[in-house]
Amino acid sequence: MTTSAKTRIKRFTPMQRLFHLTLMLTFLIQSATGLARMYHETGWGQGLANLFGGFSGALTIHIAVGIFMVCAFVVHLAYAIFLLSRRGMVAGLRGPDSLIPGPGDIREFISHLRWILGLSAHPPLDRWGYWEKFDYWAVFWGMIILGGTGLLLATPLASSQVIPGWGLNVAFWVHRIEAILAMAHIFIIHFFVVHLRRSHFPMDSAMFDGSTDLETARNERSAWVDRLTASGELGTRLTVAPPAHKKIIHLITGLGAVAIGLFLLVGSLMHATRITW
Amino acid sequence: MWKTSLPPLLIVLILLLPQPAPGQEEMSSRYYRYRSTEMSTGVYEEYEVRPRGVQGRTDGARQQGRGLNRIADEEGRALNRIFLNDAHRGLAYYEQRRCVDCHAQEAENNRHYVRYGITCRQCHGEEPIASSNHFFSRLNSLRRHTHVCAKCHEGAGVSFALYAVHEPNPASAATLEVMPVLSYAFWIMIAVAVGTFALFLPHTVLWGLRELLTRKVGRK
Repeated sequence: MTTSAKTRIKRFTPMQRLFHLTLMLTFLIQSATGLARMYHETGWGQGLANLFGGFSGALTIHIAVGIFMVCAFVVHLAYAIFLLSRRGMVAGLRGPDSLIPGPGDIREFISHLRWILGLSAHPPLDRWGYWEKFDYWAVFWGMIILGGTGLLLATPLASSQVIPGWGLNVAFWVHRIEAILAMAHIFIIHFFVVHLRRSHFPMDSAMFDGSTDLETARNERSAWVDRLTASGELGTRLTVAPPAHKKIIHLITGLGAVAIGLFLLVGSLMHATRITW
Repeated sequence: MWKTSLPPLLIVLILLLPQPAPGQEEMSSRYYRYRSTEMSTGVYEEYEVRPRGVQGRTDGARQQGRGLNRIADEEGRALNRIFLNDAHRGLAYYEQRRCVDCHAQEAENNRHYVRYGITCRQCHGEEPIASSNHFFSRLNSLRRHTHVCAKCHEGAGVSFALYAVHEPNPASAATLEVMPVLSYAFWIMIAVAVGTFALFLPHTVLWGLRELLTRKVGRK
């Protein structure tokens, strides 16, 4: 066994990476088509809409991709329930491999904050940091809010038979604010944490490679590595680094998404005062 | 020869040639052309709308010229306009004003106008414009869905017509009276967004600085 080559530790399964890639691509399309319509009073928004066949074409794509995202979310729920049924419905929700937040995450947040301010040593993080759990549940909540209001708005005649017509005014504003929150969170905070931190610059490619460097994990997520070492699971989780061409593709994919996100972020901030809100 | 061949030729031509269509007529009046387009489809030729840069933007809030009051004081006192069959009856210089000169607010909080370029008259109709509460108004809630909404939204029902085309500004305090659910939903969503960024923006910036100044993250 060539342990020298196996310097990396598996962090995400291919299924999880596929979910992330799907979400990433559809989220960028939804951001671009949504902003194209929101900014259609400006030349920037009109140029953006032209990429998708104009003002009405952007809506067609926005609705189609939105329905696809809702379907993918349902598939994700089925996947989560399948995993839970394998691990045990109640036991699967507990423990360090679960994404369910608990009081330990608040303690971890406070100790991590103390480390940021230089007051104590770096806390031993486990497999999921508190910010990663927050990101997961932010998307989960966002899918329900944006998907729900989006479906209402996409079929106004049908939805006005279920809710009063003024509910569509409410749905529109909830959809808009939640979308702005989601885009700002991804394009500023998620991109910063994944790409701009010194320890992971220019990109933490774990979500594309599926594995992360063992030494980095030993430093940052020591509780996770210690736990795997204690249970003897570490050997089965070690893996080799992905080949160079895959690394390059992953880097281009990730940085391409960053470029698109920053283009949308800067453009929408620059033109924010020129549209009717 | 002409005497015998011309009448049958004319009959053949009458039978075979297409009827002169109204669409081929030269319009002598831009007003009538506007009106016929408005009544048919609501779709305008490119030369009939303002250029893209200013499309949908209103400058009605700025008053030009002599600065007429929205409604002269006596006019406001004399009539309760929301029940008139001509809501603009007796308004000074009414013929010289554009709708948005007075109704700037209505045009701005209105995605039908801002996004789709739907004009006031496409819903409110021609002169005299009855108040929407007037019994004969096309915008009376009795028939609004069939006579106005359904022109574009085929199958619109009573509930559909409750959509607020002239949407109140969700951030303003007055909206709490008019559309309380919109106001609550807006402020709850704003609170969630502001809370998220108030927590994570400083957290992320400080974190980035901490890593920038540290050689290695972790226990060593």
